Amino acid sequence: MADWILENPENVSEADIVVGIPSYNEADAIAFPTQQASLGLQEYFKGYRTVVVNCDNASTDNTKDAFFSAPCEVPRIYVSTPPGVKGKGNNFRNLFRLVTELGAQAVVVVDADLKSITPRWIRALGEPLLDDFGFVAPLYLRHKYDGTITNNIAYPLTRCLYGRRVRQPIGGDFGFSGELARFYLEHETWNDDVAQFGIDIWMTTLAMYFRKPITQAFLGRPKIHRPKDPAASLGPMFRQVVGTIFHLMEPFAPFWREVRRSRPTAIFGFGLGETEQPPPVNVNVDALYQKFREGADRYDAAWKEALAPATYAKLAEVQELEPTHFEFPIPLWAHVLYDMAVAHRDRVLPRKELLDSLAPLYFGRTLSFVRSTEGMALRQAEEYVEDQCLVFEDAKPYLVERWGA
Amino acid sequence: MARILIVDDEEHIRTLYTLELEDEGHEVCALETGRNIVEHVESFRPDVVILDIKMVDVSGLDVLQEIRNRFYDLPVILCSAYGSYKGDIKSVAADYYVVKSSDLTELKRKIQQALEARIPQD
Repeated sequence: MADWILENPENVSEADIVVGIPSYNEADAIAFPTQQASLGLQEYFKGYRTVVVNCDNASTDNTKDAFFSAPCEVPRIYVSTPPGVKGKGNNFRNLFRLVTELGAQAVVVVDADLKSITPRWIRALGEPLLDDFGFVAPLYLRHKYDGTITNNIAYPLTRCLYGRRVRQPIGGDFGFSGELARFYLEHETWNDDVAQFGIDIWMTTLAMYFRKPITQAFLGRPKIHRPKDPAASLGPMFRQVVGTIFHLMEPFAPFWREVRRSRPTAIFGFGLGETEQPPPVNVNVDALYQKFREGADRYDAAWKEALAPATYAKLAEVQELEPTHFEFPIPLWAHVLYDMAVAHRDRVLPRKELLDSLAPLYFGRTLSFVRSTEGMALRQAEEYVEDQCLVFEDAKPYLVERWGA
Repeated sequence: MARILIVDDEEHIRTLYTLELEDEGHEVCALETGRNIVEHVESFRPDVVILDIKMVDVSGLDVLQEIRNRFYDLPVILCSAYGSYKGDIKSVAADYYVVKSSDLTELKRKIQQALEARIPQD
């Protein structure tokens, strides 16, 4: 196990409930979620031994000092990877290890850049763990263009593969039992992508695959953090999230092949405060189209290699559409992802190249999503996302057939 | 064929659904209220529930919560004259949401999908 840097000024050796805040260079933001975590633990978990943990990547911007300086009435622990070791997943791994040593019953994790967190979030994400639930995913309103990887890949794929509707499988804010933390710590599917941004989808997928009791915590307020334009650089996050989904499809194939359709997941937290509308997210549609076109120039040979001939032929049609008539149909998108999953398993191309070649197609699909939903209210856009999931479910026999026995 | 429990306060809807679904070979029980839903589910043991939302004496969304609290894996299809409740977060707990129509094609399709839903268990 990798070394860690631990600062435990109050010598906490046992805890019932832990709130973890993973970070990397979040000195300007971490004080607020730290304070809200403290307030939530004090207000809703009286009588429990509680602690707030900052799990960091040896930030160089004094994140640690900002964490320890934040208003906080419960004990704090700082744990970090050694300098040079990055990755959100590595932070979580340190958290799994720490909460195991502390013997915690429940663990809540919230993002360090959250601006909309309230003490009630801590309650909603933590309280179900004191009953029978093992994993709590967040459920909040997001702008229709916030979370496009969730809407177009992570949600429809995990839903149709594992049969559970968890609307925010990579939401960043979670609750899980201490028992599940120990399970995560030892699971053999951990890899380099999981150690980075693949961690969220890995935790959610394992909870679904191993039939841990899952609920969704309705958080009332929208998630407000640093918004991202989907046309902006995806960086390695896209590869790590999608790569983790594809990676887990291999060992879990005997399970997901048998899954038909999907079932709703329980919701906790109705009535915990007023529901607020999320702030707008601006999308540069010209940039989305440009990235799709550039991808077509660069990756056409890779697409021909990775996709089934019928899928590739349909994609060629899409490439010929005029910009004003551009559309990336949902059934084609489902087949593209299914074909790519098979190609990933078979190593038709180097995996990094394969996932890089998928990114422009994702931009094309996102552009189509934006155009289809631009006149829609949030509720209508949600219905559109749900309908998209049904198309993925309808197309699943194609995946099962292509995957083979 | 399946055992289907219908909960709707409009008599002509209950009659229409009952006749059409019985024609398809299903066994149907129709209730005009969602009150005491737990007892009715325990006695009829349905494979799927078709639940109206806006009823005179009780909200279908509250009835849905009662069903979920007690019978977590029982498929429930919300069936309403209003599409607007689809935006209510409580409706997420249903398997499907269908807007009422005299053409039951969509409802029958959702019943079929709800019945074929399967997640392997240990």
